Order: sequence, then C-alpha cells, then structure tokens
Amino acid sequence: MKIFKSIYNLFFIIFFSLFINISLANVNQLQDYYKTIRCLVCDGQSIQESDTEFAINLKEQIQKKYDSGMDLKKINQELVNIYGEEISFSPSNNHIILWVLPLLTLVLIFFLVRNKYRKN
Amino acid sequence: MKKSLIIPIIGLIILGVSAFLFFNKNEERDNKNVTLPSSLFDTVDFYDMKPLNQKELDDFYIVNFFASWCKPCLAEHPLLMELQSKGIKIIGINFRDDEENFVKWINEHGNPFFHIIRDDGSIAYEMGLIGVPETFFIENSEIQKKVQGPLFYEDIQKYL
Amino acid sequence: MISLLGNLSFYLTLFFIIIFYLGWGKKIFLKDQVLLNLIYLGGIIPFIFLIIGFTISDFSILNVIQNSYIDDPLFFKITSAWGSHEGSILLWIFLINFFGFIFLKSNNNFQIHKQIIFISSLFILYLLLSSNPFVYVENSSEIAGLGLNPILQHILFVIHPPTLFLGYIGLIIPFVLASHILVKKDFSQNLFKQMLFWSKISWFFLTFGIVLGSYWAYSELGWGGWWFWDPVENISLIPWLLNTALIHSLQVSIKNDQLKLWSLNLALYSFIAAVFGTFLVRSNLIVSVHSFATDPLRGLFLIVIIGYLLLVTIKLNIKSALHFNQDTFSLVSKESFLLLNNIFFIASALTVFIGTIYPLFSELFFESSVSIGAPYYNFAFNILMAPIILLMAFAPQVSWNKNENKNNKVWITILITSAISIICYFYFENIYFAIASFVASPIIIQSLIVIFKKFHKDLRFYSQWLAHLSIAIFIIAAVYTEQFDQEENFIFEKNGSSQLLMSNKNNVYLKNIKDTSYSNYQEILVELSILNDEKEYILSPSKNIYQPSGQVTNEVSTVNQWFHQYYATISSIESDRVAINLVYKPMINLLWISAIMLVFSIFLSIIKRR
Repeated sequence: MKIFKSIYNLFFIIFFSLFINISLANVNQLQDYYKTIRCLVCDGQSIQESDTEFAINLKEQIQKKYDSGMDLKKINQELVNIYGEEISFSPSNNHIILWVLPLLTLVLIFFLVRNKYRKN
Repeated sequence: MKKSLIIPIIGLIILGVSAFLFFNKNEERDNKNVTLPSSLFDTVDFYDMKPLNQKELDDFYIVNFFASWCKPCLAEHPLLMELQSKGIKIIGINFRDDEENFVKWINEHGNPFFHIIRDDGSIAYEMGLIGVPETFFIENSEIQKKVQGPLFYEDIQKYL
Repeated sequence: MISLLGNLSFYLTLFFIIIFYLGWGKKIFLKDQVLLNLIYLGGIIPFIFLIIGFTISDFSILNVIQNSYIDDPLFFKITSAWGSHEGSILLWIFLINFFGFIFLKSNNNFQIHKQIIFISSLFILYLLLSSNPFVYVENSSEIAGLGLNPILQHILFVIHPPTLFLGYIGLIIPFVLASHILVKKDFSQNLFKQMLFWSKISWFFLTFGIVLGSYWAYSELGWGGWWFWDPVENISLIPWLLNTALIHSLQVSIKNDQLKLWSLNLALYSFIAAVFGTFLVRSNLIVSVHSFATDPLRGLFLIVIIGYLLLVTIKLNIKSALHFNQDTFSLVSKESFLLLNNIFFIASALTVFIGTIYPLFSELFFESSVSIGAPYYNFAFNILMAPIILLMAFAPQVSWNKNENKNNKVWITILITSAISIICYFYFENIYFAIASFVASPIIIQSLIVIFKKFHKDLRFYSQWLAHLSIAIFIIAAVYTEQFDQEENFIFEKNGSSQLLMSNKNNVYLKNIKDTSYSNYQEILVELSILNDEKEYILSPSKNIYQPSGQVTNEVSTVNQWFHQYYATISSIESDRVAINLVYKPMINLLWISAIMLVFSIFLSIIKRR
C-alpha cells in the first residue's frame, strides 16, 4: 500500500503543478487557438486544419483582431456570441461537469480502492 | 440491487434517450441573436460610392451574401430577381471575391440588389456567416429569419 | 441471378436457424452439427456472391451500380463490396458466421452457438428489412455505374474496415462465452482460457485496424494529423480499451480465480461497445468524415439489437452467483495492480464515451450544441491514462498474491525518471514533452533492465514486455511530433523557380508541374525539391480529378529522413501560381513503428511453449 500510495501522490503533485504551468505556456498562441475553433462546414476539423472559405475567413478576421490588440479571451467570447457554443472545441463553463468528471473519477477510484483494502 | 447492474441499466437509459433523440431530431438551427453590424450601414455601395441611405429602406428588407465563385448563388439568383421585381429591397454583400469576376457576374446575370457592398469577410464574420449563399430576412431592424444555402421558392413565397 | 442467390441464401439460413432452435433437425434428417455448419455457411456465402457481383460488374445488382464504375480498376471494384452501408452490414454477417464456423471447430457446445446464431439472425433480419445490397435492377445493360468515392480508392481502405470489423466481431466469442459461464455457473478455467485466446485475436485486429485507420487519415486526408478524436475514431477506441482491460483481467481470473466478475462483464461490454459504436455511426446522429447516408429504420434496428445485448447483460448479472467483493488478495500484489488497471481502463473508456455522446445530449437539455474535440480529450483522457502508464512500468515486477516490498527499486526508478524529465524540460524547452518523458521513462528503464536479466522461457513475458515498451515509445514519438512539427505555406510563381526558406533552414524549390491522364482520373502533379545539408528530397503532391463524378482529391506526398518526414499538399493551383502546404513531422515514423510493434507483440503470447 505504501508504495503505490506514494507513487500516486507523487504523480498527482507533479502532474497538477505542471498542469497549472500548461495554461501559462505561450508557444504559438494563435495557431494553438485556431485548433480549438471548430470549422462549422467541415466534418469535425478545426479551422487550423481546414482550408474552406469559412475557415480561412475566420482565421483572417481573428488575426486582424488579435493584431489590433484584442486578447484571445475576448475574441473567443465574441465568436461564441455570434456563432454559438458549437464553434469552440473547449466546452464553456456551463458544461463544467465535463471537466470535473475525470477528476471526480480519479478521486472516487482512490477512495473506493482504499476502502476495499481497509476491509481486507 | 447488485452493484454490477448499475452500468447496464444506465446503458439502457442512454439507449432509450438515444432512440428518442434519433426520432425527434431537431433540424432547425437556432437563430442566433446577432445584431446588425454598423459596417452594414457604413460601407459604401460599389457603384455609386455612397453609404446606405437608411431612410430609403423599408421596414422589411433582405441581406444576401453571394460570390461569383459560388455555384448555388447562381441557382438562387432568379429568385432574387423576382423579389426585386416585387419591390423588395435586397442588400447584396459580395463575400471574398475578385473584383473583376464579381463585375462580370453581375453584368452577365443581372443585378437584383438595391445596394451592393464588397466584403473582405469582416461583415460576414460579424453576422455569423457559415457560407455563401446565405440570406437574412430583416424586419424592424431585427433578423427575423436566416436561410443558409440557396433560397428555394418556399422560403420567399410569403414575401412575394 | 446473383441478387436472387444472395437473398435465397439468407432465407435458407433463417429457416435453418429456426429449425435448429426448435430442435427439429431430425425431422429434416440433419444432425445438429451439420445443421450448424449449414447455418454458418449460409451466412458466409452471400458476401462471396456480392464480391463476385462486383468483380464482373453485374449491374443488375443495385449496390454494384451505386458503388462502382465500369472503368474502375478491378482491385477497387472488389473492395467496393464493403464500401457502402449495405455492404458493410453484409460484411458483419459474413464475419459473425465466419467466426462461428471456426469457433465450432474448437468448441461445439450447442448452447453457446445458439446465442451466436441468434445474434446473426438479428443482423440478417436487419439486412433483409432495411439494408439489402441484393436489390435486383432491370434493364441494366446501359448502365456504367456511379463509381466509388475517390477518397476510398486507396490500398489502406481495402484493409482498414475489414480489419476493424474482424476486431469488433471477434469480440462476439468472448461475449457468448461469458454469457454461457454466467448462465451455467460453470467457472472452469478452460472456458476462461478460450475467452482469453479469442480476445487476443480480436485485440490484434482491433489494434491493427485502428492503426491502419490512423495511418490512412494521415496519408490521405491531407491534414497532417493522425488522431482527431473524431466520433468514429472514438467508437473504435472504446472497444479497444475494454478489450485491453479484458486481456489483463482474464490473466488474473485464469491464474488465481480472482476478478472473475470483472472479466466476465468486460467481455460483455466489449462486444456491446462494438455494436453500439456501429449504431452511432450509421444512425447519422454523429457528424463525421465516416458518415453514411441513412434511413431511420436502420437506426431503429440497431437500437433493438443493442437493447437485446444490454438486457442479456442485466439478466446475467442478476443471476450470477458472483459479487464484486468476493476477491481476496494482498494490498500490493499483481492482482491489486491489475484491479486498478481494470478500473482506470474502464474510466478512460467511459470518458471517451461520454465525450462522444455529450454533444447529442447537450442539444436536448441545453438547446445548444457543444463541440467536444482535442482540447477536452487531451485533458480528460490523458489524466486517466497517465496512472496506467506508470503502473505499466511497475506491475510486471510485482509478484502474485504477496505483499511486495521493493521500495528501493521503485524509488530509484522514480529518481532517474525525474532527472530525465527535468533534463528534457531544459533541453527541449517544452512542458508537454517533459511530462511525456516523465510518464514513459519508468517503462523504458524497466525494459532496459529486463534485457540484462536472464532469458524467460515463457514467451508471454516478452509479449507483455514488447507491448508495454511499444506504448512508451509511442507516447514519446506522439508528443514529440505534435510539439515540434513545423508547417509552412508557400506560393510559387509558375514562370520562375522560386526559392523559399523553411524555418529550420531548408531551401524549397519548385521543379516541375506535370499533367497526366489515367483510366479514371486526371492528375496534376507538382514536383518540389527540398535541399537540406547537401541532401535533396523530392516531393510530388498532386490534385486528381475523377471520372465520372468530377470529384477532385488532394494527394499527399511524403519523403522520409530516418524517423522524420516531410509532408506536402497542394493548397491551390491557379493559372500563374501554385500554393503549397509543407509540413515537417519529426519522429512520426517512430510513431508508426512503435504502433506496429504493439500490434504484433500479441503474437508472442499466442505461440505455444514447446
């Protein structure tokens, strides 16, 4: 019990501290942002991958706004207001359950296993 | 109840809901609450180089996105001409087009538009354009209906 | 003629199935064994008929008209047999009966086969009532056919769907075995061993099928990606995850009679997941590149089939004498690690499942359609898989049913791993790759240690060693290629030979533009030359225009540099200029190599020790 508990705790700590760093990573922000915007006339691609007029236009307009100083959060909010939630591959906070579920699962598993072993 | 029954029962529920969804598919897309962008009224007409005179607009008018490279736009063109003949004002927005091709297209097929704007994509963006052709029916400065794709007779019947 | 024979064969099969069920074999002078063989053959033959129909371009069959063209190359004419919805259902039926037929050779328990032929009959009814390829068309002498979609005219398309289907339908054997075990309460080891064998077979085909599909998308669709979390990809991933868990869980059930209820339920759910996935694709509820055009009856029928399978599962679990808390094993033993393994795999499968169907449900409840793609899955799926990967490194070292106490070895591995990942972080300056190296290093370290130890006579050890090592290499290659790839868009003026620089200091030239006509398409090819350190690489992307549809496809061109690859497509061709999209994908070849290593690693565990 000691070993895998330690491994697990170590993993948790490292992973989560790194995860916080991820959101601050600033490599090629715009291209990465395009990957989170869905091309509405394609079959599930992002606008980054697609070369339809829709995708190219959206990329150009977003680039213009980005270059004029608008930050990505505002651009995203505007985009969602105009095109609806389906334009973004990152579900909004209305669907917080999606983001919480994996973490909840992990915690649940941890406690289930711990209790099972307590019984034994 | 046994723990191992939880998953299959949830599975059946999901199946049931899928079946329900399957037979009640909502084909209509919501009309997003898009406000008419100011650029629609500020951008000058291609021919007379003047911005839209809002006094000349009726309570009801149409905004139509088109392009010379767009085949379905050609298909719906006769319907636009018919709407124009009935006195309905259509604002034409030429979406991401080559100027020469656009002029040729208008000269060849006819101009159903009361006001033509050349758009590099920014007006389209602000109105939530999915792709050309796309038509917005405006009543009292609000978007009443949006048709994505070429217009069919049923779409314009009541306005004729 | 062929349409007639095809339909006749199905009716005859259904007839025999009814006879078999009622036990009236004697009345028609057929022994049960013979009857079963006839039933299976009856399900196998129609597919062969359809292939013959495509080979000779028999346009009196509607399906042949809809999916092939008189001038299509013969090879693709044959493979069009499973290109349509009807053809693929026919392939399902063929495979169910094919597996049943082979299974009959090693296990002729009629109770088990009764269930197989019942499931087969459901699919046959489905075909006959809503998706029959054998529709007779009169006056067909003038018809030349509508042609096969050009995207599908590729060697990989020939192998990818049948391979995947072999994987999905192979899972039917573990399903009926588990069903039998629970009903008869016969927990003999032999039955579990059979289940393990067949689940390994289906795992091979599933893994291979997924890798092929991924490679096909990479080389055909022109986006440079190899996994898109597309709904159809997800629904092949879910059975794969459950199948993998099944293989691991069964080892415990066979060795120590533990985790039996886990193994049996995993067997049931693997097959259900495969069938449910099929439903989801064909019902058009999900939009993807793989969508088929459908009619509502098809979706309904598949709902019925899945409903049946779920009801069976419920009934079996109610009746089973097993409970989840019956197992007894030590806290730190292989059994407990594999139990954790089961839990995490199921959680991952559930996450992918929820992500896939959530958009449908959000439309119902929130009236807005959410899009779930890579950002979500990269977060959720990776969080749940990471513990498994770490477990993978240490579990093989842990003994059965004993409290392990190898603290020192574990701490040393963790220390080395941390050192490696910190070095990676500073050298590559990339956080994702550092995490990947942290997660994958323990396995690689342990694998290296194994090489220096003595040779295991039991080859199954090396099967597991190779499989786990492949996964570790795969993770490293996958994260590396996604983090460090480069993409450039060039425009070349046709009348000059432009020279442009790519960001890693390569020179790219336009060499030539060729226009060629083939039997059913016209090809416009652009030849590019990349000069990199005295070495020249030639790329030839093209645009193909197909007859009779006029459809245009973008053909990708790739060239290799050890583990790395250059990848080019034509963005557009105009009268005076050509726009090219060039991608540099480092380590992508290592990704494919490790994937193939994984696929074939399973064979080491099937070879019997002499």
